[in-house]
Amino acid sequence: MPMSNKISESTEWVNALLASLEMGIVIVNNNYEVEVWNQFMENHSKIDAQEISGQCLFKVFPDIEENWLKNKCKPVFALATPVFMIWEQRKYLFQFEASRPVTSDADFMYQNITITPLLNESGEVDKLCFLVYDATDQALNKLRVDRLNKQLKTISRVDGLTGLYNRRYWQERFDLEYKLSVRSKSCNTLMMLDIDHFKKVNDTYGHQAGDAVIRHIADTIKAATRETDVCGRYGGEEFAILLPDTEAKNAVTVAERIRKLVQATEVDYEGQIIKYTCSLGIAQNTNEYTKPSQWIEIADQALYKAKETGRNKVVVL
Amino acid sequence: MALPILICDDSSFARKAIARSLPDEWDVEICFAEHGKQAIEKIEQGLAHVLFLDLNMPVMDGYETMKVIRQRDLPTMVIVVSGDVQEEARKRVIEMGALDFIEKPIDNAKLFAILHKFGIYDGQSSSDQRQCSIKTGNSLEDKLDVFREMSNVAMGQAGNSLAKLLNIFVELPVPNVSIIHSNEIAMAIAEIDKNDAVSGVSKGFTSKNLRGEAVILFNDTHAKSLSALLHPDESSSQVQNTNDIKQDHLELEALMDVSNIIVGACLRGIAKQLDVDVTHTTPSILGLHCELSELVEENVSRWEELILVEIAYSMPSVNINFELLLLLPVDSLDLAFERFLSVREQ
Repeated sequence: MPMSNKISESTEWVNALLASLEMGIVIVNNNYEVEVWNQFMENHSKIDAQEISGQCLFKVFPDIEENWLKNKCKPVFALATPVFMIWEQRKYLFQFEASRPVTSDADFMYQNITITPLLNESGEVDKLCFLVYDATDQALNKLRVDRLNKQLKTISRVDGLTGLYNRRYWQERFDLEYKLSVRSKSCNTLMMLDIDHFKKVNDTYGHQAGDAVIRHIADTIKAATRETDVCGRYGGEEFAILLPDTEAKNAVTVAERIRKLVQATEVDYEGQIIKYTCSLGIAQNTNEYTKPSQWIEIADQALYKAKETGRNKVVVL
Repeated sequence: MALPILICDDSSFARKAIARSLPDEWDVEICFAEHGKQAIEKIEQGLAHVLFLDLNMPVMDGYETMKVIRQRDLPTMVIVVSGDVQEEARKRVIEMGALDFIEKPIDNAKLFAILHKFGIYDGQSSSDQRQCSIKTGNSLEDKLDVFREMSNVAMGQAGNSLAKLLNIFVELPVPNVSIIHSNEIAMAIAEIDKNDAVSGVSKGFTSKNLRGEAVILFNDTHAKSLSALLHPDESSSQVQNTNDIKQDHLELEALMDVSNIIVGACLRGIAKQLDVDVTHTTPSILGLHCELSELVEENVSRWEELILVEIAYSMPSVNINFELLLLLPVDSLDLAFERFLSVREQ
């Protein structure tokens, strides 16, 4: 009959359309048994539509957390509202290989998923349609930009030679910590450190050896301080260390540890053994300071005094 | 003698819509109030044997108004007309002494049935004569008012969806509708502390008469509580991750879940009132854990003037608030206004 011909024609037409779409289309009933599985899904899953038809999605894909997905689908059934899932949330629903196996560096296909309600004649949701979008290119680009931004941030903050914060960023952090400490009335201590007779190291062994010494003291500082301490390269051979929630007397212990470690170790630069020492000045914050630079000034004076009175020592002001 | 009735709603459009839906042959003397305080004055003047009362209003809301009516034992019969369609809201107002509760947009047959049930009116049910005599104005104020009322009804339906899903009462505010410049969005958002860390997702929507973006904004402290509410069981299932990553992940899931439910239901509510089909896009993350101004400024890049609808949902029993923003290019206003009126007239 012409009528049924038309229907079968239109079904074929719809099937051809579903097959040509560059996205996965999966229709399941309310028991999550698969009813439609388009070409995209066949090709990427390597499972034929006939094979999966009538099977429960969770049986065929045990990796999909059943409770989690059912929770997501709850509003689709109950409220007939579409639900969207993005790759940032879950990288994928179906674990497929990336579409471009050679030129894309993803091990799998990132997916955005839309779950839409399909209503029956009486207006109830009795089937769900999963639309599976390949979001791999979008995801890789986003991740690449995020990674680059992170690198840029690090580059702009960190001193290349030592890996400590550079002066600009250290100052920014110091100003912030100062403001916080004023508000919270917490006790913080600032430590300034300078390598003794650094010019002599440079003149005797060369600038590259000087760099090795600077790297060595930076490593010593890193090893002797906590993760929450803010350590920066303040000038050529001068370093600034802010110790939050630390009284001056405890900072002295840290300073002495650094001083002794430096005194006790030798730097081996291409066979040349270099011995050096350092001086440290310490100042605890007080409510007399009205701006952060006054505090730095006092710590600097302590450092100057350590230098004046013989070097290789710690002075508290 | 004509029966004095009072219609109390902050939206001029809603006041007229209620007036229009009254049966033609009901002999009434209609007067209006914009909020509860005005309503109380008019009841005291004997102008309200029947009071049609909205719930979400500025100055004095419907709940407070009913409290005053009961305390002073004022002579009026209250029929609540509200976009808040939560079962809990209905229960509350009946407990507070309302005769009945009728949902917005008003169904004339339902209204007639209520009037009939309580013996207030038992004439003819037809109500199409007032239709012609009470017109909606055409000024910018009128258009914004229609938009506010449309959002009000849609947000009520969305709130109800969330309430059902979480089994919690969701408090509905008065939607804030304004025309702003796109660089003023952060300033215009009233309900979020400018120093709080926020996260947001945006979803685009398009139809013949309306297009724009729906943004869900969360304060970070609330995201934590909400993720605990939505995923009480997931805290144990992913122990292999470090805590921070897991927490971040759960917060993103919570943000997406709420966005799916609220935006989905709200857009459906608007689409239904405009009788259009709306296409939505996959949501996109605007920012996580950043300042509001940063989140907005880094993302807004188009449209000079826009309509901002701000809806601040809150769930007081679990101490969670979040914001739904609808941002629409200003030309949507006329298109939606015309469409809305033509759907109403049919």
